Parts: sequence; C-alpha cells; structure tokens
Amino acid sequence: MIRLTSLTKRYGDTVAVDDLDVEIRPGVVTGFLGPNGSGKSTTMRIIMGLDAPTSGSATINGRRYHDLERPLHDVGALLDAKSVHPGRSARNHLRALAASNRIPPRRIDEVLDFAGITSVADKKVGGFSLGMSQRLGIAAAMLGDPGVLLFDEPVNGLDPEGIRWIRELFRSLATEGRTVFVSSHLMSEMALSADEIIVIGRGRLITQGTVGDLTASADGVVTVRAVDADRLANAIEVGGGHVERRNDGTLAVSSLAAEAIGRIALDAGVALSELTPRRASLEEVYMDLTADAVEYSSTAAPHE
Amino acid sequence: MSDRVTLASTTRAEWIKFRSVRSTLTGYLVTVVLTIGLAALITSAIRTHWTSTTELRRITFDPVSSSLGGTLFAQFAVGVIGILFITSEYASGSIRTTFAATPRRGAVMVAKLLVLGATTLVMAEVVVLAAFLLGQRIYQGVVPTASLGDGAVLRAVLLGGVYLTLLAILGFGLGLILRSQSAAISVFTSLLLVLPIIVIILPTSWQNTITKWEPSALGRAMMSPTPALDTFGWATGTLVLCLYVTAVVVAGIVLVNRRDA
Repeated sequence: MIRLTSLTKRYGDTVAVDDLDVEIRPGVVTGFLGPNGSGKSTTMRIIMGLDAPTSGSATINGRRYHDLERPLHDVGALLDAKSVHPGRSARNHLRALAASNRIPPRRIDEVLDFAGITSVADKKVGGFSLGMSQRLGIAAAMLGDPGVLLFDEPVNGLDPEGIRWIRELFRSLATEGRTVFVSSHLMSEMALSADEIIVIGRGRLITQGTVGDLTASADGVVTVRAVDADRLANAIEVGGGHVERRNDGTLAVSSLAAEAIGRIALDAGVALSELTPRRASLEEVYMDLTADAVEYSSTAAPHE
Repeated sequence: MSDRVTLASTTRAEWIKFRSVRSTLTGYLVTVVLTIGLAALITSAIRTHWTSTTELRRITFDPVSSSLGGTLFAQFAVGVIGILFITSEYASGSIRTTFAATPRRGAVMVAKLLVLGATTLVMAEVVVLAAFLLGQRIYQGVVPTASLGDGAVLRAVLLGGVYLTLLAILGFGLGLILRSQSAAISVFTSLLLVLPIIVIILPTSWQNTITKWEPSALGRAMMSPTPALDTFGWATGTLVLCLYVTAVVVAGIVLVNRRDA
C-alpha cells in the first residue's frame, strides 16, 4: 500500500504536486492519469525517495522509502527505461542491483526469463530498443519480488505484443495481492489495464474512483433525429431536457434518458428516425476533467 | 547475518558496476602506458644526453622523480576514471536506480570511494614501481641510479601511487559536485594545467608562495626523495593534497544528500 499525505512539491514558484492525498491499495491495478507535466513522475520520484517533498509525506506500507531496510524487496519501480549505463550488459546491471540488496544471483536468471530478455542478457544495454529497455526495467523491478510496484509510462515504446504482455502482467501482479501503481497520460490505455484511476492535473487531485464510477458520473448525450425537429426540441425542453441543435439536423439531448425522450416524442406525435444514447467514453470524461489542467494546450492561448 | 542493505553489500554492487564498463579498463590501460612508456622515453633520453649534461644538472639530478615523470600525464587518466565513475550515472540516469536500491546516498558514495580508491591504489603502486625499476635499469651503467633499499626512495615511489589515487578521488569529488562529465573534466584539467599557467603571470614573490600549493607541485613534493627548495616536504605535501581531496569529496556528499536525484 502506498499512502500520500498532503504531498506537495514546489520548484521555485512552480507547484509540481499540490497537496495530494491518496491511498493506493493492494490487489488492484491503480492508474495514475494526467496530462504531460501534471506531476505524475514527480510524485513517483518522491515515493521512491529520490526527490524530497516540500511538505507532506509519501509512505510505503507505513514507512518512508529511506527507512526501508531492503528497498528492492518492498518496492520495484520502472521510472525511466533508458536509465541504465549504455556500456553495461543487462545481466551486469541486474547483478549489481541484486548484490546491493543481497538478492541471490539465481534470481537474475529468473527475472531475465520472466521479462523475455534472456537471449540479449549479455549484450550492452546501449544497443537495446526502447521496448527491450522497458523489459529490462521490468526485470529489475521484479528482482526483489516486491509487494509494491511502480511503473511510469510503461507502455511507451512497446509493440502491440509487448503492450498485451504488460497489461496481463499488471493484472496478474494485482491478483497476487501486490500494489500496482501505473502512470499514463493516455486514458485509453488506463481504461484497459486499470481497475482504479486517480486523475491529477497541475499537481492537484481531480478525481479518483473505479473506471465505472468515472464514466457513470458523466452525463450521457442522446442523439435524436426527427422529421419535425423544432416541435420535438420544444417538447423535450418542456420535459426538462437540454437540447443542442447540430449542423446535420440532429438534436443532441442531455439530462434526459433515451427512454424519456421516446415517450415525449410519442406524446407530441413526432416520428423519430433516430434515437441513439451514447455514454461518454472514459477518454471524453478525462478530456473534460483535465481541460482546465493542461499546462500546454494546442488551442488555448497561454494563461496568466 | 542480517539481510539489510549494508556498506558491504553496496560496495559489492559498486565493484560490479566499476568493472563492468569499458571506460574503467581503458582508463587504467592509458595509465599503464603513460606511466611506464614515458618512464622509458624520459630515462632513455636522459641516458643518451648524459655525457653532454652540465655539472650543475648532474648534481641536482634525481633518478627517482625523473623516472616517475609519466605520472604527471597519467594523473589525467586516473582523474577521468574517477569522474566517469560518478558522472556516467548522472548522464544515463542510472543514479536513480542506484539510490532506489540504496537510499542512503552517503553509503553509496563511501562504497564508490572504497572501490575506486582501492583499485586505483593497487594499480598505481604496481605501475609506479614498474616505471621506477624500468627507469633505473635504463640508467644503469651511465646515469646514477637509486635503489628501493633506500627508505626515502621507497617512500617517494610509493607516494607516487598515492598521488595518482588521490587525484582519481579528486576527479570523483568534482564529478559528484558538478554531475556533468564535461564540466568536471574542464575543472580538473584547469586545476592541474591552467592554474600553474595563470600563476606564472603573477609577480615572482607571489609565485613562490602560491606555486607550492598547486596539486601538481604537491605531487612533485611527494615523489622526490629529498625535499626541493620550492616545494613542501613530502609529509606536508601529502597532508595538503589529502585536505583538498577531503574538502571536495565532503562537499560533494553534502550536496548529494540535499539535492533531488
């Protein structure tokens, strides 16, 4: 279990992490979602004891990272796949890590095999593709068989086969009762691999909950097409719905379910040619939630 | 036995890291070639020209330091070994992996210093002894020679190895403070090469006081069996260089504990 308590990190005037209070539970995959620059990586570095928080704290199973006696047995992390000396072989990288935490050498072969990189174990890491480096990072994270795992943008650079492998890996690690904390800036990825989602923007917690919770909280929109759209639109508004006219002649109705709209149409004597309820996708919910929190937007002019 | 991360386990890890990159081996090879190769070149040249050497030069001639002249070039090779041992971790980002495995950063640095210091000392002592013996063999019969049986000679030769080791650690400390390979190499070479040149521009009275504090002058003091007029004695020279190196390393460790990795 990872616990962040009023966690804040400032760099000069910039607030990277702003009073974050969350708990990441074992047994589920927790997605950590936010636009680029929203403070995900900083938060993960603070959990790992690499960056010091300005205030607040981050604990793993109730202890700060610095107080862990054999950190690799408690926490495994893949923060940046390329952060290995390029001139060192994958095996030697793992040997050094194993030696530092008194992990038996046979474990190195196990994790190499587990990550599917045994055949390149004695090659220099500098020649690895990003996907191979990610796999080495995962092998390193698994070295101490830890109960808590952190992955920062793990699917970057992976091929479809690698992405499927890593999703299944998260799932099985969580099923084994481990805490799995995965960051991503892609909602679509998290929708597939995470059970619970924490959304942050500009370092602040925006929302958290299960994937189902997040989509349910958002209003669905029903697309309606009718021969006499004007009469129907009036009837719907009288019935409490909110109507928006689209250019293609359809009506986008919110705040009313499809069933209610159908009944209003029947009562008004308007024939419908289309009635399509559409639940907001997780992606849309996410875009909506983080719209104000995107630091660099392609359309908006700079703030302040 | 406890399963905790200890200085011993961290040192084992650093030892694996130190010898599993090519730059370490290359650096030591350059050290060997420069120290022994230049000893052969310098001493051969002295032997060839001995008959035409002036009486004054003959009286002040020191067969020990002349055969160890290569160390003044090899010092850059060992300095770079020390610099790369830490800056390569910052360049690749692997310092984060290192600190995640061993959160006590001071312990990581002590482990690195043990590995770097012990390896360099063993290497450098073998190399300076070889350079000295080769030099005396070349001098034999023509130029006066020195023997390791003489305590002062043995001390000067062994301190040559200590000098190289201290410079490797100095490079490491600069690398730890600056975290950048190019910046650390610039500062390191400036201290050893540019500083003496700047001092030459100063008035002579200043030169005499400042020069003996320069790292390379301290090295000359350590490697000469009899104290020269313009340098410290061997003991003071060694002490001053140790103080420089300690100050730089301590500053580096204080910074690494304060900074975000």
